Amino acid sequence: MVELVSIFLNSVFAGNILLAYFLGMCSFVAVSKNIDTAIGLGFAVVFVLTVTTPVNWLIFHGLLAPGALAWAGLPEVDLSFLKLIVFISVIAAMVQAIEMIIDRFSAALYAGLGIFLPLIAVNCAILGGSLFMVEREMSFIESVVYGFGSGVGWLLAITAMAAARIKLRYADLPSGLEGFGITMIVTGLMAMAFMLFSGITM
Amino acid sequence: MKLTRTKAFKTFADPAWYDNPINMQMLGICSALAVTVQLKTAFVMTLAMTFVVSMSGLIISLMRRIIPGNIRIIVELAVIASLVILADEFLKAYFYDISKLLSVFVGLIITNCIILGRAEGFALSNPPHLALIDGLGNGVGYGSVLLSVAFIRELFGSGSIFGFSVIPESAYAAGYEDMGIMMLAPAAFIIIGLMAWVQKYLANSRKS
Amino acid sequence: MSDTAKSILFALGMCIVCGLLLTAAATGLQKRQEQNRITDRQKNILYTVDLISRDKQYSPEQIVEISENNIRKYQVTPSGKIVSPEEAGGKQTLPIYVYVDKDQIRAYIIPIESQGLWGKIYGYMALEADGSTIAGFTVYQHSETPGLGGEIDKRWFQENFEGKKIVDQNGNFVAIQVAKGDVEKQVPEEKKSHYVDGISGATLTGKYLSQGIEKTLSRYEPVSLCFRKNRLRCRLQETEPAQDEK
Repeated sequence: MVELVSIFLNSVFAGNILLAYFLGMCSFVAVSKNIDTAIGLGFAVVFVLTVTTPVNWLIFHGLLAPGALAWAGLPEVDLSFLKLIVFISVIAAMVQAIEMIIDRFSAALYAGLGIFLPLIAVNCAILGGSLFMVEREMSFIESVVYGFGSGVGWLLAITAMAAARIKLRYADLPSGLEGFGITMIVTGLMAMAFMLFSGITM
Repeated sequence: MKLTRTKAFKTFADPAWYDNPINMQMLGICSALAVTVQLKTAFVMTLAMTFVVSMSGLIISLMRRIIPGNIRIIVELAVIASLVILADEFLKAYFYDISKLLSVFVGLIITNCIILGRAEGFALSNPPHLALIDGLGNGVGYGSVLLSVAFIRELFGSGSIFGFSVIPESAYAAGYEDMGIMMLAPAAFIIIGLMAWVQKYLANSRKS
Repeated sequence: MSDTAKSILFALGMCIVCGLLLTAAATGLQKRQEQNRITDRQKNILYTVDLISRDKQYSPEQIVEISENNIRKYQVTPSGKIVSPEEAGGKQTLPIYVYVDKDQIRAYIIPIESQGLWGKIYGYMALEADGSTIAGFTVYQHSETPGLGGEIDKRWFQENFEGKKIVDQNGNFVAIQVAKGDVEKQVPEEKKSHYVDGISGATLTGKYLSQGIEKTLSRYEPVSLCFRKNRLRCRLQETEPAQDEK
């Protein structure tokens, strides 16, 4: 249990998927201009990461990992080189499926999240989550917690950034620094602040 | 006709400097920064990225008349993903030490927005040789930013360039210390922000 | 042909071409990748006993050659006996590498497997033939945060371990701990030889690594004890691995 809590805290703070691993930058820069859209996209990322990371875990350990096909009488087969292409297809398919399910059952949620879902399929934070899960040899439960934690970390970072950018609108910046330049510098300062959480011990 | 006026040159130079993919289009910075602690990893990443973006441009441009419109994105993704896997497997086989340092970031080239953007926006509507050159230009532009960030981080963070120490021992003896912050993530964000500032400032003053 | 059928056919064609191409590439390169993994581990084993320098580059052939000339692989039984892999058979044994120079055991190297902050940490620790002094330590695989816990693969951290003791003055096993900060400032004088400098900002990595090393060392404690108490006996067994202990 303690391990799970520490995985969660670490994926939110010190090992934040955006601020420490630079994943999901494209949509982070593009969408943080508006706080409502930022929060919407943030929740969509939490949702998709929490679903795709464990699903990819099942697929990797059930089909692709070395020896995973033993149940089919093929213990020698190692398909792990296919993980990139399989993961990206699974993510695209899952996003599509989630979009359809939400559309069918909750019109309110669809109105809120729907437009962000297609954007997410190419968000590197999602693929990164799955790849790190393999790299770090997580168990199934850990992959659920890690997916959820990374999503929450990303949500926290983009919300904070969107809030900071509202203030930045009134700042008198030197020519050329506005927009992308200052966003990156603020992100850097935020990354420093998040690193301070690395001292948390359980 | 001067070299700088040819279509091919423009195709190369536009992405490499004028519309540099990192600073101007804000694309593709995802996987770029994590590998900039050392020049060596940044350099290999640049090569991998250039290979994928130019080859995917070439292949997609060659197939542009036969790809059915309704599944073109997935076809593009399949081509890109296959090329990335090839690059990854190749690195693991021939540059094992570096591939260990790059870990998952080679794989994340797939989700790099530049590549899909170039495939969709350029290769689908241009002949193969231009698509290839456009890819190379994008690779060089991407690489120049990546390598500059890596240069600054490695020089100030570990006092070396490509792994060779360049800060003299006497400087350390006189009290000089490597900047630990350069090795950490925040430094990459701040450097890229400052670089975007300089490039935008120059672009602004060129216009006026 | 309808558009849908054409799309499906095209997609199928793509799948087959990509699949074949990738499988061919992966199978073709697999042997080399596997060889790389093995060489990388051998290299790390050699680092722990300073047989090769970290400053120089070595070709894979050189690594294999140095490794074959100096390092022998054995198994350790739960009672601390060193036996050859064939002899161990299916019995519960642990792998051990022995550095032999002129028929003398210089050091023995044990594989370290530890929980990390994110994933497993794998490495090697070499102990000198006195069974209590650490000769070297390396990490060859980990997934800690770069710049923080990731520092465990840096030289300064690993060289930290050299010369530390895993037993106290009275000869009791105490393992080795990663301190929270500098050993000089944080650890009382009499315990300094059992602590190494920690990494700032990576307290948890240090904690997990300490636990992992302690667990591994205590599993290998019987063989360390044998080296400590009875050097000659261990050496004799080693030079003739097939011979059974009376």
